[in-house]
Amino acid sequence: MALLSIRNVFKSYFLHGKRIDVLRDVSLDINAGELVSMIGASGAGKSTFLHVLGTLDAPAAGEVLFDGKSVFAMNDAEIAEFRNRTIGFVFQSHYLLPEFTALENVAMPALIQRRDRGPAYAYARELLERVGLGSRVDHRPGELSGGEAQRVALARALVLKPAVLLADEPTGNLDPTTGEGIHQLLRDVNRDLGITAVVVTHNETLARSMPRRLRLAGGQVSEA
Amino acid sequence: MHPAERQTDYRWPLLWAGALVALVGAILLGVAISESEAWAEVAGALGLSFVGWGGLVQSFDAGALALGAQKAAAVAGPKALVAGTLVWLAGWGLIAAGIRRAPASGEGPSPAAGAPLYPRLARYRDFYWSTLGAYGGGILLAELALLLLQTVLSSGVPSDLGGAAREAGGGLSLPPTIAFAIAFIVSMGVAFASGFVGASRAQRLSFPEATIGVFYLGLPVPILLSLMERVPSLQLALGYRLREVTYVAGLIGRPELAYWLVFAALVLALVLGINTGFIAAGSGRVDLRLGFELFVARRHVAVFRPSLLLGALAVLMFGIIPPLIVYFIIRGAEAAVERTRVKNLGLADPLAAASAQHRMKLHEQSPTMMMTALSVGGVGVGVMALIIVLSVMSGFEADLQQKILGTNAHAVVSRYAGDLPDYAKVMEQVKRVPGVVGQTPFIINQVMIASEGNVDGVIIKGIDPKTVGSVTDLPQNILPGGDLGHLEQPAKILPSSAAEGREDAEEEDPIIGKPSKPAKPTVLPGIIIGRELAASLRVVVGDRVNVVSPLGTELGPSGPIPKSRAFRVAGVFYSGMYEYDSKFVYILLQEAQDFFAVKGATGIELKVADIDDARRIANQVVRVLGGYPYRARDWGEMNKNLFSALRLEKLVMGIILSIIIIVAAGLIVATVIMLVLEKRKEISVLKALGVPDGGIVKIFLAEGLQIGVAGGVLGLFSGLAWCLFIEKVGIKLDPEVYYIPALPVRIEPVQTALAVVIAVLVTYLASIYPALKASSVEPVEGLKAE
Repeated sequence: MALLSIRNVFKSYFLHGKRIDVLRDVSLDINAGELVSMIGASGAGKSTFLHVLGTLDAPAAGEVLFDGKSVFAMNDAEIAEFRNRTIGFVFQSHYLLPEFTALENVAMPALIQRRDRGPAYAYARELLERVGLGSRVDHRPGELSGGEAQRVALARALVLKPAVLLADEPTGNLDPTTGEGIHQLLRDVNRDLGITAVVVTHNETLARSMPRRLRLAGGQVSEA
Repeated sequence: MHPAERQTDYRWPLLWAGALVALVGAILLGVAISESEAWAEVAGALGLSFVGWGGLVQSFDAGALALGAQKAAAVAGPKALVAGTLVWLAGWGLIAAGIRRAPASGEGPSPAAGAPLYPRLARYRDFYWSTLGAYGGGILLAELALLLLQTVLSSGVPSDLGGAAREAGGGLSLPPTIAFAIAFIVSMGVAFASGFVGASRAQRLSFPEATIGVFYLGLPVPILLSLMERVPSLQLALGYRLREVTYVAGLIGRPELAYWLVFAALVLALVLGINTGFIAAGSGRVDLRLGFELFVARRHVAVFRPSLLLGALAVLMFGIIPPLIVYFIIRGAEAAVERTRVKNLGLADPLAAASAQHRMKLHEQSPTMMMTALSVGGVGVGVMALIIVLSVMSGFEADLQQKILGTNAHAVVSRYAGDLPDYAKVMEQVKRVPGVVGQTPFIINQVMIASEGNVDGVIIKGIDPKTVGSVTDLPQNILPGGDLGHLEQPAKILPSSAAEGREDAEEEDPIIGKPSKPAKPTVLPGIIIGRELAASLRVVVGDRVNVVSPLGTELGPSGPIPKSRAFRVAGVFYSGMYEYDSKFVYILLQEAQDFFAVKGATGIELKVADIDDARRIANQVVRVLGGYPYRARDWGEMNKNLFSALRLEKLVMGIILSIIIIVAAGLIVATVIMLVLEKRKEISVLKALGVPDGGIVKIFLAEGLQIGVAGGVLGLFSGLAWCLFIEKVGIKLDPEVYYIPALPVRIEPVQTALAVVIAVLVTYLASIYPALKASSVEPVEGLKAE
């Protein structure tokens, strides 16, 4: 059975009062352990798709199933907890919390889950070392470079070992060399930790390097 | 608001018909009211009708007045009133029937039939009757609990029937104020619990239900209690049962104010309960833990930094300008030193200099920081002002109380009519009452006092010098030169030198201009007068004064003449109360008996161990004496007007000063809203990381609360510091004007704590709205790529 599936999902957003239907009766299955890329033109609704998939935004109609269970049938608190435990996000900007150090940022999902601070910090430190930032743990986001911050964000997404990693143009703001480092990390994560990953990008080379490729256009998702 | 949440459907024919019927009802009511000529009384209730309670209050009020006043129209009045009320209510019922929630709208936003709508919205219904019941019933229950507990806990204490009731086992006889405290806390708990239950059942902040419930179920009780003061028939029906309640409310002089304040406090507890219930269970699950929420909140508003706290404290203690000047001087010096250091560093190690420069930039403060500091200062000023003013007013009250109790007894035992001829026997009996620590007989009367210089009307008191010290401070208040003991041995009073001179002058031989042998002055009974009276009569110790009583005339050669007697000033006292120092004179009890032809004494003055217990002990004394014809009045009762006025003044001052805190709360609302706007992105990120809505609410509530707590603590410290300053150093007053040498101050722990608690509560309430705003930020909003 598919780990993540969406069934007959409709979603629109409004731009200058005009309705743009970005998802029109989309159905899709993603299996456990898959590494999926999604490409599409700007404004085609890739981010919206990812938000719906990550329960950040509710579809106008249709269902999102995780392990066969409808996600949006849960109440707010349960959805929040689901997001906390099951899904890791990486966005185009790092979106780290500016008041906290890299270490605290990485440990934040564990703190939200009310885990003890000691083990949470220990594991966060380990993760930061794995992404090559062992020497920057006590720096705040303002003192990190773009690539470093993005690696901290990746570590944060992984701290609770989620089942699914959703990345929204994670290298969009980075230079190609730095970006390639992040891509490599994503592939490692997928391979070593078995985390299912969906990466939205408009970097064709990156997309081609992924085993499964999706294209979003005209409200429809197709395999590319 | 999603359109599915509130869609109402108006049936206009019903609405118009209802309006018409209600209008007819209102006219009927108006006719009935004008027939009973009660417009003046109803006008007051009209104010309430704007709040929503409306016609019922008016008709009730007018009905009670019409019945009570026994007007000629009384027969027609009530009928028209009842009819009018019914028609009025029916009209509103029709209007209510005309407004209906539209059935769940069929046209979904989706063409995909059968697909579930977003369940979060589907769960919301328009109006929860059970929630209304929970809130309204809860507040009613709280009020009833308050009334019942107050009555039960303190019954048996006062009144003539109290003893019987207590022996019958009815009620604990706690002092009324303690009973009130217990009842109040319990009822606050009930209101809080009902708010909690209601909100956690409804899973939303259901303020419409709460408002309606409180107005229509909770409001009648305070209205009824307030009306009691004005409607005699109501007082007859309820007054006896609610005696304990009205007594406590009457302690501040304006009982209505007390009822409404208590009601407001209950509503506040309800709102707090609703809010807590919503946070706990707003999303279906109780979770009151505050781990990472506090962690995040403390990073957002770093209120508890020494620099900020010390700065705010300095501003509170020394005003705005001096600390600001010091701050700028220090900052200027610091910046200059730092710049020099960075410059020198730059020559040696440019990279280290760069990071030092970066740190300097980080030192700059954001506008939100400034707002936070201002809010903390605002709350601090409010709490400080509240503490200082209330403490000074308590100081005045304590000063007055001490002076009044220094001169007057704690309680007075007398008979309803006539004197106490057998006072010695009564004193024997009274001595056995526990709590009585001193007693002395007295005779009181009003007389004219005349010296050679002046004349004045005074209150004369016959006292027993041996026991008077056990009740009042008179022996200590005698100024040097006089002696209380000389009342009993008038021969020891030495005539003043001036008096001697004058007396000698009278006997001076006009021819040889040399005094004849000094004549022994006649022995006159002694009198003790107040300092102000001595000044206005221009007499000193040893001088002669005449006391003239308008009562009890003596027959003179040309008809009846007022009884008059000469006394010699045995001492001058200073009580510190202008009224007493200018109006009281003391003579020996026996002299007074003789002078006013009184057998025994007017009454007995008592001193009790605990002045707050005086009322109870006075009642016990009466019981020991066998009730009528004896009666006992305590100091509170004897000076009721004065102390009620003082308490009312303090209360009103407290309310007015709380406005400062409310203004500060406005600042907090603004600050937290700014924080929310500034942190939109962070809120979205936190939500993406899995923080539920309740968690976001908790974070921002904690932020507001931090400001409140910091401000409250600062206000507490600065307020206490100012009070100590006033107490130790003192602020001098002109004694000629105020009759008190320095501003008195008394720090009452309960009242001081209450000021801080009120401030924290208000800030908590103030941050509810911004916190809800924060939780309603949609995650995708803040995550849009720039």
